[in-house]
Amino acid sequence: MAADLKYEISQNAYIKLVLHALKHNTTAVNGILLGRVNPQNENVVEIIDSVHLFHSNLALLPPLEIALIMIEEHYGSQGLGIVGYFHANERFDDVELGIVAKNISDHICRYFPQAAVLLLDNKKLEAVPKGKCQSPVMQGLT
Amino acid sequence: MVSKTEETQLNRLENQVDNGGGGAWEYLCLVRKLKVRRSEKVLKHGLSILNDPKKRSALGPEEWTLYEQVAIAAMDCQCLDVAKDCIKVLMKKFPESKRVGRLNGMLLEAKGSWAEAEKAYSSLLEDSPLDQVIHKRRISMAKAQGNISEAIELLNKYLEIFMADHEAWRELAELHVSLQMYKQAAFCYEELILSQPTVPLYHLAYADVLYTLGGLENLQTAQKYYASTIDLTGGKNTRALFGICLCTSAIAQVSKGRNKEDKESPELQSLAATALEKDYKQRAADKLDLLTRALRSLKN
Repeated sequence: MAADLKYEISQNAYIKLVLHALKHNTTAVNGILLGRVNPQNENVVEIIDSVHLFHSNLALLPPLEIALIMIEEHYGSQGLGIVGYFHANERFDDVELGIVAKNISDHICRYFPQAAVLLLDNKKLEAVPKGKCQSPVMQGLT
Repeated sequence: MVSKTEETQLNRLENQVDNGGGGAWEYLCLVRKLKVRRSEKVLKHGLSILNDPKKRSALGPEEWTLYEQVAIAAMDCQCLDVAKDCIKVLMKKFPESKRVGRLNGMLLEAKGSWAEAEKAYSSLLEDSPLDQVIHKRRISMAKAQGNISEAIELLNKYLEIFMADHEAWRELAELHVSLQMYKQAAFCYEELILSQPTVPLYHLAYADVLYTLGGLENLQTAQKYYASTIDLTGGKNTRALFGICLCTSAIAQVSKGRNKEDKESPELQSLAATALEKDYKQRAADKLDLLTRALRSLKN
């Protein structure tokens, strides 16, 4: 895995995730990133859309399984696959990828080795209009 | 826990007040009664009443309750100056009050001065050791500092005294789930089901936890609890219907080698699938195709 992977995230996907996190600002939220490998350049993964998942009890299996099945069915027919996972922690100063997030993203990596894991940077989100972004935490190699 | 009708009523009131239709006091009372967390709205509308001397005097003795409510909402929105002002007014009116002392403790919490808040709460507890709110504030402080295991310990001690606090049992279950301690979470839900057996939410949550734990026995029990949720909600709970389909397919996978468990599962699975399809046809017909494909992939 020596090649440098680049990820491009579409505005739609980005905005949906951030808005969901803002709406449920008192709990942890997570979501799935959908996209594909760029057909012209296989070192670029395009994140074209996102689906936000939960804002409570993120560590329970049944809702997650159903969500993943339906997401795969729906986006599979559009030619997109699951390319990553998004997580936002409950606490403002929590910058670590917790156990639950790690487990889910490991699982996704098993199916798509170049999966991206995005963790919302709460401090940057607070700096309202500009500078709002996520700190991508790459998970490919574990 | 808020019922659907209560929530719709609350949202309707909120819309009305937001669009200038009046009813702010009614809205604030309902928020207080239902104990929901809508701090931005409470802050906005509460302040509009408090800053208007006519409206304020129209409240009479309820004015102080509003000050308390707005103070807490302000702390939740990190508007600490507003909170401080409200608390000052309350301190002037009720100088020796423990309730105001609690608010002061919460203000220290909001500022992040954990040690001082802990001191304030401990001294308040010395005078009234059975104050539930203060116990809960200490648990929240542990949680806010990221010390989930200490929060769990404190919550366990709290529940030894106040065993009937259902919301506390739920909170403990959710804390356990967040740490992936599913067996302990299952225990909490069992306590809840024992004390309130007709609340479908607990059955559903218990089934979810059992499914997550895995293993043939747990899956079978989970299926039973999904079924009881469906029973208690008159067949309307989509999550439980999905849960049944998931359980059937998981049980089939686990017992692939053993041939015993073939009795009622296929019927249950097809009943659940039919109910889901009917539900989707009514409420989201454009997603019906997606559902059928998803169910089919589960069956395999």
